[in-house]
Amino acid sequence: MSATKPAPELSVLREPLREVGGEQVLSGLTAALSWLEANQQEINDLNVFPVPDGDTGSNMYLTLRSAVEEAGDAPAPAAVDSVLAAAAHGSLMGARGNSGVILSQILRGFAQGVAQRPRVDAGGVALALNEASAVAYRAVMKPTEGTILTVIRDAAAAAKSAAAETDDIRVVLDRVVTEAHAAVGRTIDQLQVLRDANVVDAGGFGLAVILEGFARAVAASAGPASTPQVISRPGEPALRLPPKPGDMAATGSAEPRRGAAAVAPRDQGWGYCTEFLINGPDLDVEALRTELGALGESALVVGDPALVRVHIHTGDPASVIAAASSRGRMSKLKVEDMSAQHHEVLDRADAVEAEAGAADVETADTQPRPNAKEHPAAASKAIGIVSVAPGDGFREILESLGADSIVSGGQTMNPSIEDLLIGVQTANAERVILLPNNGNVILTAEQVDPLAEGCEVRVVPTRNLPQGISALLAFDPEASIDDNCERMVAAIASVRAVEVTHAVRDSNVNGHDIKVGDVIAVVDDEITQVGNDYLEVIETVLAAQTPAPELVTVYRGEDVSADDAEALVEALHGTHQGTEFELHDGGQEHYPYVLSLE
Amino acid sequence: MIHLVTDSTADISPSDAKALGVNVVPLVVRFGDEQFRDGVDIDPDAFYAKLEHTGVHPRTSQPSPEVFAALFRTLLSDPSDHIVGLHISSKLSGTLQAARLAAQEVDAERIHLIDTESVSGGLQLLVRAALDDITAGDDAATVAAKAEQRRARVSILVLLDTLAYLHRGGRIGRAQSFVGGLLNVKPLLAVRDGEVAPIARPRSRAKGIELIVDGVRECAPLHSLAAFHAAAPAAMQELLGRLAGAAPGVTMIQGRIGPVVGAYSGPGGVGVACLASG
Repeated sequence: MSATKPAPELSVLREPLREVGGEQVLSGLTAALSWLEANQQEINDLNVFPVPDGDTGSNMYLTLRSAVEEAGDAPAPAAVDSVLAAAAHGSLMGARGNSGVILSQILRGFAQGVAQRPRVDAGGVALALNEASAVAYRAVMKPTEGTILTVIRDAAAAAKSAAAETDDIRVVLDRVVTEAHAAVGRTIDQLQVLRDANVVDAGGFGLAVILEGFARAVAASAGPASTPQVISRPGEPALRLPPKPGDMAATGSAEPRRGAAAVAPRDQGWGYCTEFLINGPDLDVEALRTELGALGESALVVGDPALVRVHIHTGDPASVIAAASSRGRMSKLKVEDMSAQHHEVLDRADAVEAEAGAADVETADTQPRPNAKEHPAAASKAIGIVSVAPGDGFREILESLGADSIVSGGQTMNPSIEDLLIGVQTANAERVILLPNNGNVILTAEQVDPLAEGCEVRVVPTRNLPQGISALLAFDPEASIDDNCERMVAAIASVRAVEVTHAVRDSNVNGHDIKVGDVIAVVDDEITQVGNDYLEVIETVLAAQTPAPELVTVYRGEDVSADDAEALVEALHGTHQGTEFELHDGGQEHYPYVLSLE
Repeated sequence: MIHLVTDSTADISPSDAKALGVNVVPLVVRFGDEQFRDGVDIDPDAFYAKLEHTGVHPRTSQPSPEVFAALFRTLLSDPSDHIVGLHISSKLSGTLQAARLAAQEVDAERIHLIDTESVSGGLQLLVRAALDDITAGDDAATVAAKAEQRRARVSILVLLDTLAYLHRGGRIGRAQSFVGGLLNVKPLLAVRDGEVAPIARPRSRAKGIELIVDGVRECAPLHSLAAFHAAAPAAMQELLGRLAGAAPGVTMIQGRIGPVVGAYSGPGGVGVACLASG
């Protein structure tokens, strides 16, 4: 273990670094983001499944970017607690995918660990990392070893033992990075899927990269000038990912970009956090983003032509409001002094904390929660339904079946917590049932409830669109939210999803030797068929179903023509006389066909 | 003597009506300018054939008060006679309203009218139970009071092929926003508090029939049961097959959804009405 390894050379070259402040933490986070960006593709390539889905590296990058952007606007840039509280909030809003959500929880725990501390010593770093580990574990129902969780836990343990021996933060962080990489290397022995694919865990590796970028910047942040290249990097890291120390210098990350544009120190006071909605019908979201973005910092302009949500930090709210009101009708305008908002952020963090310990979702979703937030009795709409969907076809189908708001996203672009939160707010209901419709969005969806003020959000854990549509069909507007969640969970069980796509990488899964471009069928999250053409693969999947399904609904993707899809359905109908077939335009990317078997 | 009057939405066939001694007042179904008295000028076969072959969507209208008045006068010619009238839910049709107007004009004292809050098989089960009360010797006021109490024990579940007919006929009520949609669903509806209410949106007929049978089981113990179909003999066979074990020993009526109700259910519908034991 790291404790037995020789101390890194760097520590003997310099004065010990006994304390860090907010600026150093911010430059650490900024450097972590750069280093993560440099390694993003390698992390993405660690994906075990050969199907096109949410990329771990991209999800973690987008999550951390949101954290760094908000940390740059921290109300007290010199204070560690202020910078990390802002980073935690930013990461929470920007979190995408399971790894992104866990990363946001790590940052939240880290922020909790330094609460009330404007400066932090080595012991404080160790304490914060251990809190980060604890919070991350609590966020996941069934923590799995061999993932990002294992890496944060082992890194935190290394910090603790190092802090017992030294008060030099550089040494502590160096041990943390060493142990994080060692833990990443061990993941391959902890998870069967990783062993089969001969890769290390992508999320764990992403975290090690973040810790490494952070540690280097903090190490370089004080004391006499040094050559960062001498920082040793012991331990044998990722198998398929030979570390490239040279890259550090090449990408410029060795000299962390302190005070980079995105996180420029404030020079015009704290400004106002200005939020509002602009109502369409024909809003140009891109143009609004450019126009309003120029008027402030941290601009968030999201939505669709019918409704755009704006969140911007500006010293001159009046000009932002004037610009926006010329584009459409404004509503829900809120202008707040940033220092006031800071307190709100802390309050929210507490609320999240209160919910984080919630037990198994499977039961929590379907049973009344005694400690659920108080919600006003009067309802704008009793129960709203928010659904995630890729593609216009699915969007229209879900809307026609009664979904109140649709959040774009799915297989390759996982929506962030904030995207989902906006969807929930758009539904304008006292209670909302959220249908993630993707295995990599469920954890993100579960973070929304504590953030949605005045709205109770329940997640029915739909893992794909057929499940989401079945859940929606089971909805009874007259029934209570508890009954509805129960009905929906039961409905999910009665449908089987078949997702047909092309392999995006060579791999060996479930005994299938898969080559790039092969047609593969994923049945309820498992690759069960590999072949050369859609019809053949779907035929084989259908033939294996006992009893034969009564109804098969085929949703064609955006790359499949209506004629091709009709021909396929006709052929299937010929060989499965007892089964009804229905064809719809799903419009999804990357998956030529999605089938629902009932 | 007590005369029992109902309307054609009870879907009692003419031969049954005759055998039971029930007076059935026909509602009217219209295809454009052509109009037919339900069960008098048009029977289910002719109606569904017409529905399939003409592009015109049928409309329906309640019987006029004069039709009721004429019947009431005939039935009450003996001063000791009384009438008990059991009719379709007043939320679905103005039939009861027409009967009330006629009763005021003829002899309100001797005519007891009940809003059954039901229709089709459900209404028919209530009519048959009331006939039993008359046979048992109850007076008219008691027969009417018992029917009124009994209506809460009736459940109706119907699985339609499409909501299009209900939608065009404006009788969809709360089901409107619930069903529909781009996917093909077989809407499962109930009649609750005299209105059509959505129950579920199964994707296949087999699943829908399963839900109907579950509903029948939930009503147990049963007094009686009715199974009906709208030009859907295959679905009816499937339903009867599944119902066989669900309500052993319970009297079951089988029938067809007639022209007026069929104008809202459309062809392909199948359903049950249950009267729970008191």
